[in-house]
Amino acid sequence: MSRSLVIGMAGSGGDGIVSAGESLIGACASEGYYAIMTKSFGSQIRGGESSCRVRLAVDPVLNSGGALDVAVVLSWDDFLKFGAELPVSGRAMVVYDTRTGVAADDLPLVGVTPAEVFPVPISDLAREAAGTDRAKNTVILGLLAGWLGIGQEATLRGVRKKFAKKGAELIEANERAFHAGVAYAEAHPTAESRKMDPATGSGAKLLTDGNDMCAAAAIFAGCKFYGGYPITPSTEVMQFLSREIWKYGGVLLQAEDEIAGIGAALGASFGGKKAMTATSGPGLSLKSEVLGLATIAELPLVVVDVQRGGPSTGMPTKSEQADLFQAVFSAHGDVVRPVLAPTTVGDTFTTTVEAFNIAEQYQTPVILLSDQEIAQRKEVLDPIDTSEIQLIDRTLPTDAELENYQRFQLTPSGVSPISHPGMEGGNYLGAGIEHDEHGAPTASGRVHAVMNEKRIKKLGPLHKRDDLFRIEGNENAPLALVSWGSSAGVCREAVQLAADRGLDVKLLVPYLLYPVNEDIYRRFFASVVGGLVVEQSHLGQLYRILRMYIDVPGGVVSFCRSGANPFRPKEIVAELRDLALGLQRTLGESRQPQE
Amino acid sequence: MTTATATLAPKAFKSELKPIWCPGCGDFGVVQALYRALSAIGRPAHEIAFISGIGCSSRIPGYTTAYGFNSVHGRALPIAQGLKMARPELLVLAAGGDGDGFSIGGGHLPHAVRRNQNITYIVMDNQIYGLTKGQLSPTSPKGLKTVTSVDGSLENPVNPLMYVLTYGAPFVAQGTPADLPGLVEIIEAAIRYPGFAFVNVQSPCVTFGEPEQQIKTQKATMESLEGMGHDPGNLIEALDLSRAYGTTLHTGLFYRSPEPPPTFDSLVHERQQRMMADALPRERILEQFIQR
Ligand SMILES: Cc1ncc(C[n+]2csc(CCOP(=O)(O)OP(=O)(O)O)c2C)c(N)n1
Ligand code: SF4
Repeated sequence: MSRSLVIGMAGSGGDGIVSAGESLIGACASEGYYAIMTKSFGSQIRGGESSCRVRLAVDPVLNSGGALDVAVVLSWDDFLKFGAELPVSGRAMVVYDTRTGVAADDLPLVGVTPAEVFPVPISDLAREAAGTDRAKNTVILGLLAGWLGIGQEATLRGVRKKFAKKGAELIEANERAFHAGVAYAEAHPTAESRKMDPATGSGAKLLTDGNDMCAAAAIFAGCKFYGGYPITPSTEVMQFLSREIWKYGGVLLQAEDEIAGIGAALGASFGGKKAMTATSGPGLSLKSEVLGLATIAELPLVVVDVQRGGPSTGMPTKSEQADLFQAVFSAHGDVVRPVLAPTTVGDTFTTTVEAFNIAEQYQTPVILLSDQEIAQRKEVLDPIDTSEIQLIDRTLPTDAELENYQRFQLTPSGVSPISHPGMEGGNYLGAGIEHDEHGAPTASGRVHAVMNEKRIKKLGPLHKRDDLFRIEGNENAPLALVSWGSSAGVCREAVQLAADRGLDVKLLVPYLLYPVNEDIYRRFFASVVGGLVVEQSHLGQLYRILRMYIDVPGGVVSFCRSGANPFRPKEIVAELRDLALGLQRTLGESRQPQE
Repeated sequence: MTTATATLAPKAFKSELKPIWCPGCGDFGVVQALYRALSAIGRPAHEIAFISGIGCSSRIPGYTTAYGFNSVHGRALPIAQGLKMARPELLVLAAGGDGDGFSIGGGHLPHAVRRNQNITYIVMDNQIYGLTKGQLSPTSPKGLKTVTSVDGSLENPVNPLMYVLTYGAPFVAQGTPADLPGLVEIIEAAIRYPGFAFVNVQSPCVTFGEPEQQIKTQKATMESLEGMGHDPGNLIEALDLSRAYGTTLHTGLFYRSPEPPPTFDSLVHERQQRMMADALPRERILEQFIQR
């Protein structure tokens, strides 16, 4: 019996592999399992190879997991193209279509011999049962339901739903294909039981991806305007809102480019409405100038960057965490701009709401750095209790303040009440030009200095927001992990694994990346002798930013690599173990008696 | 909300900021014309939002008592559009220079036109870059010698009137401070037009502009479209006349679509009304992700 399984499948574009994965994760969700599904495609727009991974578990899942426990192969060529994305473990069962002509004792896998191999006439079963090869993916669902013991009824329900609009004939054909798969699995039992433990959680689960979650959070937060330009892997944010935002009295604009997208959003914010734009790295570059305007005009704005492999077009469908420098430093002038990052589909909700709250409270643009991995993976999670979530709206001037209104009034907090067109007495000139408290343009160095100070000081409270960090593990642990974004989900599992192996590790996950809460890092590092800052970029951008602000202990090093393939929990544990051994050796050497 | 009072004098729209413009700059005439047009319209200043880019001309919102936003170079239109979408009840004006509107911001203009929001866009076209001190502009005549085209420019100027007409703008007019009453009329008609209204104002730059573009020459050579008997409902004739941009200074209405097409914002309103009925309350948005 298993508490957790990783299933990987690959085939060519028409094989419906991803759609099988979607049915599978839907079934897992309705059976009460937790799961994460990621998909990956070759570079063709249509056709080409496609694959998906589904990790399902009895307990909540934090990342897409490591090597496969179950590999389903419709075409070996296609499967092998996904290389590191679909690594087969020695304990795995490999299921493949006999049509591929490969002998069971001659699999094209290098360096691993899977525990069990099932050559299955998948295409033939599909044709016999449904009269067409195209039902291959439904046969696969039947096989998996049979072998893994995931609710057959739930899986079938998903299949029926998928073909609901296509007529009774297709539904029945696919039902037969499904049952053929189940029957085959029952007639060919696995040597060791591969059945999932029964799900323990009760109640309905949510199933969605990070982009939809981000968009839904925006609606929840009261966003009334979205302006943007399509770019992978962020576009689903706009697609969701294009369906939903009108229902809430909002407007969506597919702008002519990213500059117009953020410009329109800023215009809406100037009009007093909560506004958002979403993009990926190249789009964020185009938005930089207007971001500067939002900072000096002190207008709330949420800018989502769903990171992909860069620079430039880079690897648009792959994940990377290499836009942190851009998010933090791409401003002209002296600018502090809050940068937040979610770590899972689930916490994308709260992090997005937080981005709106910070933007509104401090009248500032906020960048939400999501990444392709969490933005486009599907996750099964428990319902989120939203009843306690506070929403913050910008502070409007009181009637008394409107008497002799000063839009940029110097206040103790640095935040000045903000009016918007339509408010009588609140008329002011917003500007990218430096201005005095009334908004009048100025070229005075003194006023400029005072206003820079105001705009930076007002973000001061963010340095104390310990609630925007998650700390796990033993407080006095000598070993540490620091990680953000999707890699943080991998590290959270690595901490558990490391503890099982006797390593004393703790973990710090910042949701607020910038400005840097120096205190929380200092306190966290106080007990630390060695550790890793884990992030998916070549430069290790968070590590370098931390070193600008904090005395990071010498034993804490950057563990980073370029994007595309997510970290796996085990490799982080292995790296930590090496680090610990290295530190022991140094310690040992320094204790040698001096001659 | 929308209130119209006839009691607002032009000076009610004049702010206390002292213009930075050079004495004699055409933009003084434009802002004067605007005060008078706004007075005739009668909406109070706090219901008006005036968005501009960067340039001498883009300083104009600050010289009015309306809500102003002197934004960044070339982006007046996107900001004005987003604002109007978010707050359709406002009177939204956009303005800027020829560089702002036809060069760095030129990519936004066709899209602003095709969205057809009820926005008035005034370009103060002086055929030169004023604020940055006399460089070539997209509307500078071919061959013009400037500090960045020392031997004369090699490219043809854009023809803003023709461009905007062919983009499909329902209201296109041209004015000049050399005919202030005419300019007031044009701006007022533009604001009253229920759709995207484009007003090109040949507003001379006294400091870097060419002698033949100054008020005096304009007064002597300008030709009133109305005087010529042009019918502003005739798009083909308007296009034909627009070809004279750069040679003859036509003033007045080139085109006013006799049947104003629906605006973006009215369509948005309809859609919102239709869709709001079957919305889950905002707090329950996550329920659509429940997997049963
Ligand atoms: C991104 C950017 N590029 C360049 C500039 C410099 N700049 C400011 S105004 C301007 C052109 C001004 O000409 P125009 O728009 O015709 O307005 P005018 O000053 O003539 O009224 C330029 C190039 C800038 N402010 N921002
Ligand atoms: S430089 Fe030209 S456009 Fe600018 S204020 Fe002076 S006269 Fe006007």
